[in-house]
Amino acid sequence: MAGIESVLDDVESLPVLPAVVARLTTMLFQEDVNQAEIAQIIRQDESISVAVLRCANSSMYGVTARTFNIEQSIVRLGMRPLLRIVLDQQIASLFEGMGGAYHMRRGALWRSAQGGAIAAEEFAERMGFGEPELAFLCGLLRDVGKLVIERSAESPAIERALRHPGCDVSFLQAERDAIGFDHAMLGAALARKWKLPERIAAAVEYHHEPPADGAEHDVLIDCVHAADIICLWAGLGVGGDGLRYHLAEHVRAAMSLDRRSAERMISVVWARLRVLEEILHGTGATERSA
Amino acid sequence: MSRFSTILPETRTVHRVVSVADLAVDDDPTVTLITYALGSCIGVTAYDPVARIGGMLHFMLPTAELNEEKAMAKPAMFADSGVPMLFHACYGLGARKERMIVCAAGGAEILSDSQFRIGARNRTILRRLFWKNSVLISGEDTGGAMSRTMSLNLSDGSVIVRNASMERVIWPE
Repeated sequence: MAGIESVLDDVESLPVLPAVVARLTTMLFQEDVNQAEIAQIIRQDESISVAVLRCANSSMYGVTARTFNIEQSIVRLGMRPLLRIVLDQQIASLFEGMGGAYHMRRGALWRSAQGGAIAAEEFAERMGFGEPELAFLCGLLRDVGKLVIERSAESPAIERALRHPGCDVSFLQAERDAIGFDHAMLGAALARKWKLPERIAAAVEYHHEPPADGAEHDVLIDCVHAADIICLWAGLGVGGDGLRYHLAEHVRAAMSLDRRSAERMISVVWARLRVLEEILHGTGATERSA
Repeated sequence: MSRFSTILPETRTVHRVVSVADLAVDDDPTVTLITYALGSCIGVTAYDPVARIGGMLHFMLPTAELNEEKAMAKPAMFADSGVPMLFHACYGLGARKERMIVCAAGGAEILSDSQFRIGARNRTILRRLFWKNSVLISGEDTGGAMSRTMSLNLSDGSVIVRNASMERVIWPE
């Protein structure tokens, strides 16, 4: 079995973090988000400009008068939706055509990333966590390790984990049995290689097994963990690994999650996902879904 | 209802994909309805073997009372609004209730879950709906923690359920 570092070194085409995401991530960790800098980022990239203009003119935002001006669009949308749109639009390219190694249909892994981002942001707001945009970004990136495994020589071995005879064995354990580590560990290693802040790497690493207490406990990780489970229940990103994951009790308690609130969150995530896809791609989530 | 089809040249079977929170009905015997990634969601098939009309629903949650506005916009998301819609869509093509063969797959759970049991609740509501309407489930593959793919071949009504490690014909048994 290869180690995590050697897998990262051996993969020929390691996913590359878009430069725009790296810049926005740095800004998310600053006290004040610099609107002028975001406007500059948007102007420099034609695909981002198109996405932002489309959003600013969407009926979803109650718009009546059309605008073709980036500055007007930024003011109209506000910073948070803007950040969300740019992050979503940029990170989509990483997930393009991926997920097959985990028996997912085309687009399903990306839809799961988007659903997780929306749910993590919703939980962050519910918990009064002051950085919902950060939760959104971590939700988007949480399964980035699966992208590396799919491109690596370990990809065939994942089939063993998917066919693991013990249906009550967590998929993380099945992955560790098959390749020596799991996709969350590998995703965190990639985040560190990308030089993302350690909190993001930790959220990726522990999104299936959030630390309950101590110095490692972070409500950000709790939000991403709960979001991941909501996605499974919502049928987003369900691959050959099925539902072989646990919901941490301390997260359930902290979020006051019960069946009713969970079902409501599933419904909210689907509604917001449809809006996001309609704005960015002109299609509804279910129409493109697997 | 969306229609995404792939034609497989060796069999000339048209695969019509039913997405999450959606349904499809058809009366073309060359069509196979298929739905992927059934986790806690449930796939329901209804087939009239005489008229060779069939339909498939992929619902996500048990009851529309959770969000009536959503149920109006997306009735296939919920069992209690989606199942009647599936049957009425089949009747619209000429299917008859007394001939319908009904199968279900999915309703899985996350591990060690004794509290939420979203899949179990989906299964319970579905059974209650069918019981109230005197409909028997002829084939079923539900529960566990695995993801499933379900297909209904409209030429003969056969229903196949596949997971990561096996494939099973749930109708005819």
